[in-house]
This record gives sequence, structure tokens and C-alpha cells, in this order.
Amino acid sequence: MDALSGWLFRPVPLRRIAVLRVVAYLFVPVDVLLTTPWVSAHAHVPTSLHSPLLVERLLHLPAPGPWVLVLQWVLIAAALAAATGRLPRLLGTAVALLYLEWMVVAFSYGKVDHDRVGYLVLLAALATVGRRSGEDAAGWAVQVTALAVVATYFLSAFAKLRFGGLGWVDGATLTRAVVRRGTPLSTPLLDHAWVLHVFQYVLIAVELLVSPLLLVAFRWRPLLVAAFYGFHLMTFLTISIVFLPHCVALLALLPLERLRLPALREPVPA
Amino acid sequence: MLTRGGRRARTAATVFGGALLLAGTIVGQDDAFPFGPFRMYATRDDPNGLVVSTRVEAVDRSGRVLVVPDTATGMRRAEIEGLAARFRDEPQLLADLSRAHDRLHPDEPAYDTVRVVERRYRLQDSRPSGATTETVVAQWTR
Repeated sequence: MDALSGWLFRPVPLRRIAVLRVVAYLFVPVDVLLTTPWVSAHAHVPTSLHSPLLVERLLHLPAPGPWVLVLQWVLIAAALAAATGRLPRLLGTAVALLYLEWMVVAFSYGKVDHDRVGYLVLLAALATVGRRSGEDAAGWAVQVTALAVVATYFLSAFAKLRFGGLGWVDGATLTRAVVRRGTPLSTPLLDHAWVLHVFQYVLIAVELLVSPLLLVAFRWRPLLVAAFYGFHLMTFLTISIVFLPHCVALLALLPLERLRLPALREPVPA
Repeated sequence: MLTRGGRRARTAATVFGGALLLAGTIVGQDDAFPFGPFRMYATRDDPNGLVVSTRVEAVDRSGRVLVVPDTATGMRRAEIEGLAARFRDEPQLLADLSRAHDRLHPDEPAYDTVRVVERRYRLQDSRPSGATTETVVAQWTR
């Protein structure tokens, strides 16, 4: 129990949180305006095509409509304010809640993406580190983000087992992905289907066996993180899917405190 | 340093969130977001089966036939695919796609016809055999 608690609250320099704040909050306008602009387009889609998520039904959240455009600018304003490092708990909580609602708008039309959980946890965790927090609070924020990032890989292997069965590895899932979303780099692989077949084994092995290593703070962990960035780059080049928010959350595992950035507002240790 | 209560609250939040995520993976569906299963590419495709690729086509007021991109209606391809069964049963729902297009692009000619087309690729040993068919699964005309 002590070992687990020691791991969960393993001290992390507050400077890493300060850097993460800047990157995570500045990513909000990038995500909202540039990389996933289809979310705000949901404001114009008639309600008949809306398939409310469980959380919307439980909390009686309103169906997306023109108000989504207001939400968009309030979210961006809150994120820009939070990126300055001022009022970290208040602005952090506001951004975490507004972004969660933004995601509800995104995913309530019948398709849910799986690149957001790590980033949502990072946003929530950042809001728990205040001006006078210590390195143990910073450590927790980093470790829960790490847990969410690893869960995204690790639990997706279980989803494959649940929906695809043990035979998933010998199916044609990656062939389908390339047929539907192939790029000039990946389409030639359709003539060498064994490569895609082997890669399904590699994928399951990485998700189940390699991703948990991200939870261990060993000397070469930054290299392992880099390898995962390489994996996401390859996914983008072959099937044009990019887990950008997830990649932002993955940054939490790097020693960002060593970056020399000017004018960062750091929480003062108690 | 965190107080005892601060540590307890954080530990409880970690365990609670983890339990919900685990439950979502085991029994949840997509609509349990953010705790649903991570099911992208989790289904198994038969190496000798069909791959379906869906698109939306429209005939606009000027008589042009066009492939409707995601940006035209605010509905992504995967979202259209998720609704394919509903479009089949109630093709008049496609009128709402045309309405979304009018709202997003008031300067463009309106759609008089909207249809959902499925292109099916036959696989053989995990490779496209070259055989494809196209089917209109739902159509609405003004």
C-alpha cells in the first residue's frame, strides 16, 4: 500500500506543471479551431441527428445548437487566460469542465473517438495544483495523467478482445483501415497483406506489454515516450489518424522542467 | 506538502476514475464517454469478407452531382455510418443533412437530392480482390 501511495505521489518539480499548463492550455485553441473544426459545425446540425450520450441524459444537458458557438469562444478565452498561469485552480477547473462539455458536443452524433481521455485527465489534474501546492501534488497530477495515457493503450487491447475476440489478430482490421483511409505510403501494403497481419500482433503486444512500462520512471523512459510518438506519427502517415490530444498528455511523462522557457509563472512551494 | 485529506481525496479519485474506466471497458458502450471502451479498430474484419466505405452524394440546385465532404454538413463520415441504419429506415432524415448544409453554407446552391452510397470491396486473404459494388442505401429528394 505504501509503495503504491509512494508511486502515486512521487514528487515532480513544479516547473514541469508550469510548462504543461502552457502547452495543454495553448493546445485548446489549436484543437478547437484548427485540428478538429468539425466539433463547432455540430452547432448547425439538426437535433434529429443527435444521439445523446449517457452523461447528457443523466444531467439533462441541452442538445447542441447555436449556443455551441458561444461555448467555443468562452472555452478558448478561458484556456488562453489559464495558459498565463494565473488563478490555476479556478481557471483550470473552468477549462476542464468547458472542454468536457465541448467533447460531449463532439461525440454525441454517433461516433466517439478515443484520443481524449489522457488529455481530459491532464486538464482535470492541472486544476488540482495550486499556487502553494507541493511537489507531491504535482507528482499526483503527472501520475494520474500517466495512468490515463497507459489505459488508452492497455485497455484498447481488452476492447479488441471484447469486440473482436481472440481472432482479432488474424482478422483483416488493418486491411480495412488502409482500404478506407489509406495514404500513398500505406496503399502499396495491400499487396503485402502479411505486413498488416504481422502488425496486428505487434500492436496487441505493444498495447499489453510495452505501454505499462511508461508507468515506470526509468532512465530511458524519454526514449520510450519518443518511440510512442513515432508510433503515432506512423499511424498518421499510413491511415491519416492522429491522436493529437493524447500526444499532448504524453508530454507529462517527459522531464519538461529541464526546458529553458522564459517567464513561466511557477507555483511557489509551501 | 499535501495534507492527509488531500492525499485521501486524490487516492479516492484515482481509484474511482480507474474503476469507471475498467467498468466501461468490460460492459460499457460508446455512449458512456468518457468512460466507454476504447473500441477504435476493435472489431474483427473477415479476411474474406467485405469492407464497406460510405459516402454522401448530393445533387444540388444547379444539377451538379457532388460528393458531400464532412465540412459541408458538419457530420463526419463515421457519424453518417453510425446513422446508416436510421437513414435506411427513415430516408427523410437526409433532409436534415441538407438543412445543415444550408445553415453552414448559405452561399452555396442547396441540395435537391441527398443519398448515402455504400461502396463494398470484396477481400480475399486480407487483400482487396478488385471486386467492388456500389449501393444507394438511402435517398431523399426535395
